[in-house]
Amino acid sequence: MGLVTKIAWRNIQRHRGKSFVIGIILFMGALIMTIGNGVISGMDKGLRENIMNRFTGQVVIISKNQIEDNVIFTPMGKDVEVISGYDTIKKVLQGRDYIARFMPAAKGLTLILNESGDVGYALVLGVKFGDYQKMFLNNVRLVEGSFLTNDDRGVLVSTGNRSRIYDEQGFWLVPRGAGVNEKKLPPEARAHRAELDVRDSIVLMGGSMENTSRDLMVEVKGIVEYEYLDEFWKNFNIMDIESFREAFQYVTASDALVEIPVEKKKLLETDNLDNLFGDTLVEKSVTTDRKYDITGLIGKKVVQKRLDVDAGSYNLVFVKLKDPDRIGKALDDLNVRLKKAGAEARAVSWKEAVGQIGDIAMIMRAVTIGFVMLIFFVAIIIIMNTLSMAALERVSEIGMMRAVGAQKSFIARMFFAETAMISFVFGGVGILAGMAVVYLLNLLGITTDNHVLVLLFGGNVFRPLLDFGDILIGVTELCIVTAIAALYPLRVARGITPLDAIMRD
Amino acid sequence: MAASGKYPAHIPGRWLMNIIEMKNIRKDYPLGETVVHALRGVDLSVKEGEFISIVGPSGSGKTTLLNIIGCIDTPTEGSVRIADEDITALDDKKLTNIRLFKVGFIFQTFNLIPVLNLLENVEFPLLLMKDKGWSKDDIRMRAERCIDDVGLKDFMNHRPAELSGGQRQRVAIARALVTNPQIVLADEPTANLDSETGATILKLMKRLNETENVTFVFSTHDPDVLQYASGVIKIRDGNIIEKAGTASRRSKDWAKGKGAKGRR
Repeated sequence: MGLVTKIAWRNIQRHRGKSFVIGIILFMGALIMTIGNGVISGMDKGLRENIMNRFTGQVVIISKNQIEDNVIFTPMGKDVEVISGYDTIKKVLQGRDYIARFMPAAKGLTLILNESGDVGYALVLGVKFGDYQKMFLNNVRLVEGSFLTNDDRGVLVSTGNRSRIYDEQGFWLVPRGAGVNEKKLPPEARAHRAELDVRDSIVLMGGSMENTSRDLMVEVKGIVEYEYLDEFWKNFNIMDIESFREAFQYVTASDALVEIPVEKKKLLETDNLDNLFGDTLVEKSVTTDRKYDITGLIGKKVVQKRLDVDAGSYNLVFVKLKDPDRIGKALDDLNVRLKKAGAEARAVSWKEAVGQIGDIAMIMRAVTIGFVMLIFFVAIIIIMNTLSMAALERVSEIGMMRAVGAQKSFIARMFFAETAMISFVFGGVGILAGMAVVYLLNLLGITTDNHVLVLLFGGNVFRPLLDFGDILIGVTELCIVTAIAALYPLRVARGITPLDAIMRD
Repeated sequence: MAASGKYPAHIPGRWLMNIIEMKNIRKDYPLGETVVHALRGVDLSVKEGEFISIVGPSGSGKTTLLNIIGCIDTPTEGSVRIADEDITALDDKKLTNIRLFKVGFIFQTFNLIPVLNLLENVEFPLLLMKDKGWSKDDIRMRAERCIDDVGLKDFMNHRPAELSGGQRQRVAIARALVTNPQIVLADEPTANLDSETGATILKLMKRLNETENVTFVFSTHDPDVLQYASGVIKIRDGNIIEKAGTASRRSKDWAKGKGAKGRR
């Protein structure tokens, strides 16, 4: 043992009381910090896994024309650009062996209309529901009514949206054919049960990219909630993709069935009114012998044959990877392949697609670190004060050391060694105890349905987690605290001169 | 000792170099709005191997003078040379090195490091001398030899709290000598000891002065101490009022109490 270490260690033993007080403070700080890091890491992991596994996959394909990557929770419900040429994207995705599963979808914000003119809104996800459930591990739970099949038309209204619509527009949605489930009624609705406006359909008004709108009455098939992170996703209703396309004036599958000759396409695409009424074109139009299924252009309900739903438009494709840790490489590869295939689409990570939600863990971590730092700040003040007092109590000893030839740096090292030893022992034990607590909490597997706790847990089960990085952060924080706490006392100790010791005597 | 350099060193027939040379040393301490003039233009030279006693009443400037010689304090004015090195303008690091390598200290209150045992206390300055490149065994051997010299061989593993006042002072002497300093400064080394222990300590210091040729400068109130000194400096109100060898009549008188007005 070196001289500095020897003196430091014996001084700690000599001043047991002070050392213990400082040690306990450091122990508590390290314990709270470690548990906090564990909770946050668990939340981070839980959020990531739950969002990836149950809502978005690891990669989201969006239109090349989409400016912002955040497409799930777009600011002010801004439209997401339509993806054209899904077939090309599909071929690219099918050819990738690192992709486990993918599913196209469309997302948009619709207005909800009623007769009194009150306007509400709802986020809508247009999907083939059967595929959606398979893709996202049956994350949608039925509360009332029934689910959609892949061929059904209708909407699954989330419990969150139903409550909000009731609050904002005054009617209570129930699935068609099902009565009111009295238990699910909010207290206010129950109090005015006789006057309750109960409906089994809603009128949605979707906007197009060209600023035109269309009203669409949709039957409520079921009331649903999300098994995980319902608090995040409760604003999303789920509807069949064809209804979505109609509401938002996307190309539907039946639109895609229509075969329009080149001349007509030219006519439809032109902006030149002279051409529209041009003699030549009219002449050709009149003289042609071919017949068109005009019903395909004016209404889709008359189309009787089974549609290839994928022929219509989407605006998102959710992609799940076989290896969730391969997001970066997958993105690089997909973007190259999509470009090469001429697809007007690009791949973004789930985190970019969900925007701020993905940062919640980071924000929570910052809050926890802030809280821990507050504890440490108090600890620093107490430790600093205790050590400074210790330095002043040892003026004779330090002054004498200086008198016989100890440099200021020796005194500083001696003092720092004392603080570092206490920090190492008590802080180390604090970190170990924190790790043990995290391990125990993990074993307990505490579950919750509380929305706030679900958010904090990153899912329905409390699974705090500590990895090497978290422990390293803990050790670093402890080192910083030790260094800061020792800074002023070191200065005090360094400033003690032999003369101070003599004058004290 | 004296400014004239006439005072004979203890080695007969040999004129030795001045190990301490102080010229016009003034030391002022500001005290609120007033200034305390601790030293008022002191000139002093001490030859190597001398055993010098500084005597004077409390507040006369003895300790200040010792502190300046020992590089613990710096003069407000004047110049100081220690072992042929001008220390007046040295920074703290260099002054500390002079204390380590050239000067040994014995304090009034036996300042030892409480958490180290006797042996470790004596080893302490040697461990600070990293430049010397001594091995641990060298250091231990030197420390043990010094402890043996002061008669505490059987107490090597005792902590200061387990030693008597006299024993602690002897440890302080061993620690002061272990680095082979050119000068040992002692500020009232017998003040807290009974007369018998004090005499033992002084005899020990004198023996080391004679055998190791170490220059001793010590302050004291005790006239009995003067019989050991090869020279006496009387100081009052920050001025040296008398410099004499113990052989001089006046010093002997002082030692017998005539000059000290009965002060012990």
